[in-house]
Amino acid sequence: METFLVVAGLIFLLVVFMYNTLISKKNQVDTIYAGLDAVLKKRHDLLPNLVATVQEYMVHERITLEKITELRTKAATHSLGSRETIALEKQLSSMLGTLMVAVENYPMLKANENFLNLQATLSEVEEQISAARRAYNQSVNDYNNAIEMFPTNFMAGLMHLERKEVFSIPEHERSNVDVKNLFQK
Amino acid sequence: MKPRLSSLLDYYYESMYPSLHALEGKRLAILSTLKKAALLLVTLGTVLFFVLSRTNVFTSLHAFLLSVMSGFLIFMFIYRHERAGYGSLFKDLVIEKIIHFVDPSLIYTKMDSIDERTYRQSELFMEAYDRFSGKDLVCGEIEGVKIRFCDLHVEKKVRTKNGKEEWSDIFSGLFFVADFNKTFHSKVVVLPDVAERNLGIVGTWLQGVNPSRGALIKLDHVAFEKLFVVYGDDPIESRYILSHALMERIVDFHHKIDKPLYLSFVDSKLFLALHYTKPLFEPILARSLLEFESIKAYCELLVMITNIVTEFKLNEKLWSKR
Repeated sequence: METFLVVAGLIFLLVVFMYNTLISKKNQVDTIYAGLDAVLKKRHDLLPNLVATVQEYMVHERITLEKITELRTKAATHSLGSRETIALEKQLSSMLGTLMVAVENYPMLKANENFLNLQATLSEVEEQISAARRAYNQSVNDYNNAIEMFPTNFMAGLMHLERKEVFSIPEHERSNVDVKNLFQK
Repeated sequence: MKPRLSSLLDYYYESMYPSLHALEGKRLAILSTLKKAALLLVTLGTVLFFVLSRTNVFTSLHAFLLSVMSGFLIFMFIYRHERAGYGSLFKDLVIEKIIHFVDPSLIYTKMDSIDERTYRQSELFMEAYDRFSGKDLVCGEIEGVKIRFCDLHVEKKVRTKNGKEEWSDIFSGLFFVADFNKTFHSKVVVLPDVAERNLGIVGTWLQGVNPSRGALIKLDHVAFEKLFVVYGDDPIESRYILSHALMERIVDFHHKIDKPLYLSFVDSKLFLALHYTKPLFEPILARSLLEFESIKAYCELLVMITNIVTEFKLNEKLWSKR
């Protein structure tokens, strides 16, 4: 009887430990996602000013500017899930990269002080987004490992926990949004 | 801001060589005094050994040990006394001049050091200490970045198995402080990864449960992760500080220096500690000052230290720090 109680106690402790580990990893992902969301919002706040400043110079980039405005509006007004947000932000990063490459063709814009200020702030926000994305990806990786590894995978199945998607950015797009380097040329 | 070896050679022969002649004379005089003292002490020690061993109080072994110890202690006293004046002159005529050659705006104070508050602020070494000493403080700006560094020695008292008290090093070496190129509010500490290297997974687990250091931050740079363990308050800001580019530079710097490296980022400042087993800017009596090679080593060390600013690109400030 005593052996049974000891074994039952150990199993109970193991279950509690696994449950708490999974919950803490899930909460860690949510906390860091909130941080990522905050810096993404910072970028959204910059975009109207950026578009307003560049549109009078960049007459041939109207489609890109419209797309940026559309994506920004969608991100700001719709309550999107993490998966949709990640997809949308990837698109937005790509569009901003295209826009910043195009700036090279507008020397007048590169001399505009207001634009230079915006560009410098955007560069800093991009650094913060990069940091938040790396933190988010690490927490998602820890979480995904926990829900797929033995024995926590059984507990994760019972708790209906699902894999989360990392916030990856393709290499070519990542280099495109490195606006700081672009403007130091 | 990278003085060339050829320009140092010119500087050495044009600006330093004449004054070094006098100092070299003093060095040779000290060496001569020490040689004479050694000879005299060996003779006196031998006489003492024979006198003591002929008495019934000491055995031959005890008489020998007593003679050697007495001779050694007296020699060390003479050595320290002779070296003190020479060391001070050496710093005035060699170290200070090299510092001004590296960057004329830097201010050198041979008897000063980084204060205890700054040391504690860095949170690099959490152990309680009993003795704090330092020297050779250098302050100034390199490429618009405020820096300070010195040769620091922090020790604690430990009790040996025999119950005796002795001094044990907590840190000894270069302690460097500079303004960081980003503004941040949290704290990040980067330490050599001893536990994981020696204990593997168990080491990683132990690092994770270190309550005094904050949360363990796992970073996405394989070479950096192998060398260092990182603790931080905020997972996002830790990665904002330790960008991929900075981690790459830290790894390169570590490979180049090949010494235990400790880093922390606190209150928008970078604190760096490099462990050295010998004093950084003390003269070597056995080496001639009139040989360029003996001066070159000090210059290379000072150039390495001041180049930390450009190596870590601390001068490339982000918008909010300009």
